[in-house]
Amino acid sequence: MWAAICDIWQGGKSIIIGHTVTFRNFWRPKITDRYPHSKPEENWQPKPGYRGGFAQLKSDKEDRELRCIACNLCAQACPVGCIHIEGEGKGKERHPVAFYIDMGLCVFCHQCVEACPVDALTMTEEYEISRTSRAGLIRDLDELVAAGEGRQEVSRVV
Amino acid sequence: MSETTQAPLTTEEIVVNLGPQHPSTHGVMHFVVTIDGETIRECVPHIGYLHSSLEKIAETLRYEQFITNTDRFDYLNGLGNELCYVQAVERLLGIEPPPRTVFIRTLMAELKRISSHLVYLGCYGNDIGAMTVFLHAFREREPLMDMFEAVTGGRLLYNYLRIGGLRNDLPTGFTDQLHRFLDYLPRRLEEMNDLLTSNRIFIARTRGIGILTARQALSFGVTGPTLRGCGVPYDLRKLRPYAAYDQVEFDVPSFPEGDCLARHLVRMEEMNQSMRIIRQLMEKMPEGEIQADVPRRIKPEAGEVYERVESPRGELGCYLLSDGGAKPYRMHWRGPSFYNLQALPVMVRGGLLADFIATLGSLDPIAPDIDR
Repeated sequence: MWAAICDIWQGGKSIIIGHTVTFRNFWRPKITDRYPHSKPEENWQPKPGYRGGFAQLKSDKEDRELRCIACNLCAQACPVGCIHIEGEGKGKERHPVAFYIDMGLCVFCHQCVEACPVDALTMTEEYEISRTSRAGLIRDLDELVAAGEGRQEVSRVV
Repeated sequence: MSETTQAPLTTEEIVVNLGPQHPSTHGVMHFVVTIDGETIRECVPHIGYLHSSLEKIAETLRYEQFITNTDRFDYLNGLGNELCYVQAVERLLGIEPPPRTVFIRTLMAELKRISSHLVYLGCYGNDIGAMTVFLHAFREREPLMDMFEAVTGGRLLYNYLRIGGLRNDLPTGFTDQLHRFLDYLPRRLEEMNDLLTSNRIFIARTRGIGILTARQALSFGVTGPTLRGCGVPYDLRKLRPYAAYDQVEFDVPSFPEGDCLARHLVRMEEMNQSMRIIRQLMEKMPEGEIQADVPRRIKPEAGEVYERVESPRGELGCYLLSDGGAKPYRMHWRGPSFYNLQALPVMVRGGLLADFIATLGSLDPIAPDIDR
């Protein structure tokens, strides 16, 4: 009899303790964002080195537009083979005429960026990279250059 | 009265399919359960829904390319899997990573262990009907995810470790972020203990449920918190120290009961021990290089190696067979969830159907780790 009363008392106490915790949390600040209805800019910003959508960087030299020398090292480093490059010209004049990255295949591992000898290819802080069709996921050279507009540095953790 | 109603009440066994899309089966798993009334007579796990053929894919990728795939089978322990893989390749190549690299790797593996146990805690609460804990645990995990993002650039799939080194050093401000987290987490864990571990209903649903004896556990090859919950203090970090575990002090918690509550308590205590390890690692963290000299083309000599680490679920092993080429000839992974799941039919036999979910959740299985 006495044991049963103790049991009920202990059980009731543990439930009250649990509810106290829940009650305390009413006064703690909210951490949730109603994304995508509100942009999470206050609580969350992509950090430097974030691995988002791709971009091609422009060269600061006079005689060439892009840094890319179409050496194919990024395509070789890619574990899934989502990069396709066609280059033109010999030696110093070599540049890409076609550069496709299939963002549907990409695993966002950053190995292509690290393989690049001229720091031409980079990942950006862009995180809304979904598209409505599979064809839309394939980025061509124009899109890559547009995504890298105004950017000088490749993605790197600092 | 008719003849039929006067006959004694009999029950017959029926077969119930739990899964593949049951909300509490932790991924896509399928269990064919034979029940007699409420009592489970037999349970047959059907696996393979998430088979991704990673071991075969490894044979088509170069050694340094496969690191990105190691994140993907036990997705709650990405950095621990990478640690296992790069250690295996380094042993094959005979490379010694710099001390700072070893410390950062250990630190990351321990942070990942806390993160994984927090997910376990949330999901286990959810499994047995305590939804609030899920929200609490995932909120406490958020600063951890931010830290991983700052260090590696990704929140779930990291690709951070490199053969003989790391992708980058720790970012500026990481130490402050980590210390703030370490000051904050023990209070929150205390709160979650109030909410769940000391709750009377939780104890009633886990004590004496899903009992596995130490002898059974050892015969099934069960490892990790499940084995330590049976009273066997088997922990590779202690028994065969790898990375920087020989330079830190910690205890291996073990509870002799072998039931769901014991496994839960082991995981709760392991989080405290992980915090203790992280504090020591931050104190002793050496300065210096993070990348060892590695040949540009990684081509190990012909040979084989088996490397094992303690993942949050148990012993994770990586077997590599090299024929001297740039790609492994054969790779095999010992996933702890696969071996732990084998013991499930023994644990649930004779119990109630409602306890099945409690037992499954206490094993903390990860479906892609079972199938690979």
